[in-house]
Amino acid sequence: MRASINRPPTPDAEEDPPQKELSLREIINIKLIESGEKEKLMELLRERLIECGWRDEMKALCRAYARKKGRKNVTVDDLVQVITPEGRASVPDSVKAELLQRIRSFLVSASL
Amino acid sequence: MSSPRSQQASDCFGDLLDCIIADVASECHRIARLGLDRNLEEEEEELRRSVQARVADQSSGGEANGKNVVDIFGQTHPAIASEIFECMNCGRPIVAGRFAPHLEKCMGKGRKARAKATRSSTIARNRHSRGSPVSVYAPYSSATSTHRVPNGTVGGIGEEYADHAFEEP
Repeated sequence: MRASINRPPTPDAEEDPPQKELSLREIINIKLIESGEKEKLMELLRERLIECGWRDEMKALCRAYARKKGRKNVTVDDLVQVITPEGRASVPDSVKAELLQRIRSFLVSASL
Repeated sequence: MSSPRSQQASDCFGDLLDCIIADVASECHRIARLGLDRNLEEEEEELRRSVQARVADQSSGGEANGKNVVDIFGQTHPAIASEIFECMNCGRPIVAGRFAPHLEKCMGKGRKARAKATRSSTIARNRHSRGSPVSVYAPYSSATSTHRVPNGTVGGIGEEYADHAFEEP
């Protein structure tokens, strides 16, 4: 007798791919993006940081670093590492407070 | 003790800030690699140095002496352009360096050149004297488009030009 020509049944594809558990952080991020609020916050933060000269300070740091290390030897990662500590520390309190306030309001309104 | 929500907010803020930091780093990287920020400084420095050099070096026939400048290909050019080409108005071979005076006579800016006047350029000149600035171009543009333009169309070209000029903001 020939081997069965019946194929074993195709394993059922799950109707929905199993929901991986999204962390709260990810959920917040998704809601921020979907509602468009993330973009607005980015624009606001960008604007504030430019106004207060933070951006210029960071650019000066980068320039100094590039001059030291040699223009052609600089990588983006280098610059990120150069700016990040100083950058995070030197955001003016008022700017930080303003952004935090908006984010908190958003979280409340999105009942997160 | 910050509430969880404050913590979340802080995290969000940190996220946003990281994005902006990345943007700034990327832009500065570009500027550094393209040498854009240094151009200003370096140009000023070079300018200062070249001025100093010129001051120190004035006796010798330095590179920056008046007209005998060397261009970026290392060529020098004589003060008076010597290439010969054909005047588009009268068709004569003209030395490029003498083209402007030639055109003055050729196109009849003054009384002395009236002998060259055709009916078309007389019309244009009459218009000019009435104060329409556009028609001055008429003989030249007609001359460039064809060697001699039949009288009838000069006005047309002049008017077209006038319309065009008025349309431009």
